[in-house]
Amino acid sequence: MKKLTLNSLLISLALVLAFVERFIPLNLIVPVPGIKLGLANIVTMFALFQLDIPSAITITVLRCVLASLLFGGMSSLFYSLSGAFFALVIMILLKFGYEKVFSLVGISMGGAAAHNTGQLVAASLMMKNTAIFAYMPVLLVTGLATGLLTAIISMNLFKVFEKNNRVKLE
Amino acid sequence: MRLNLKYGDFLVILAIILIAVLFVVSFYEGNTDEKIAIVSQNGIVLDRIELNKISDRYEINYFGEYPGTIEINNGRIRFLHADCPDQVCVNTGWIDRPGQIAVCLPAGVIIKIEGVQTDVDIIVR
Repeated sequence: MKKLTLNSLLISLALVLAFVERFIPLNLIVPVPGIKLGLANIVTMFALFQLDIPSAITITVLRCVLASLLFGGMSSLFYSLSGAFFALVIMILLKFGYEKVFSLVGISMGGAAAHNTGQLVAASLMMKNTAIFAYMPVLLVTGLATGLLTAIISMNLFKVFEKNNRVKLE
Repeated sequence: MRLNLKYGDFLVILAIILIAVLFVVSFYEGNTDEKIAIVSQNGIVLDRIELNKISDRYEINYFGEYPGTIEINNGRIRFLHADCPDQVCVNTGWIDRPGQIAVCLPAGVIIKIEGVQTDVDIIVR
């Protein structure tokens, strides 16, 4: 399969996950802005661990832009890009210790915490108000749970992928 | 299924919990005599309300792309209604303790309750 084709497919998959996630109203249980499962991060992790770092960055950035254009509104682009940037940096760094120091669980949790931190940084800049960091503890703790969830899904996905049909890139 | 956790995973969890606790401690404000709710929109303070001193119901309207109304009653404050798409602000409900916040991210509005310790026992006139 051509790399361009695979990356395009992964972007559309990430968009579908980001869209589906909008119907899971996590913010009704925990009324904090920006709280979500982060299912689209499964695609980012797949690209990061099964493909390469440039693919992971391209897929994530384009997913953020397209999701904002399609259903988030342009003001959400800054938040999602900031969150994605923080998450990618942490996950790329933690990947150096993958399978030796960290499993996917730790990397995914670190990514979730970084993502939420990035969103709060963006929000505090937009609102010119640091009071929003009062949401930091609840966002970090929910990040542990959502990070674990996406890690478990990704682990199973990787297992199937590695066992059956590893994509041959031309 | 087996997760096969590595020791680094526990370090990540520990670090996240530690940072969370640090934020809890630094944002914690004990109960104080006076509570002031500060309503601001995009860095501009719209109103400061002394929650304990307002006995009648009071409303603040804010404007912009997503306008809304904030209600103050019985020493508490909340987003009464808002035109924003996510309604997270309205779902937050009443807040009344120092250190608590309520936020409408799309509208850029944040309500923060600050405690003011007066430290005055007797006022001699």
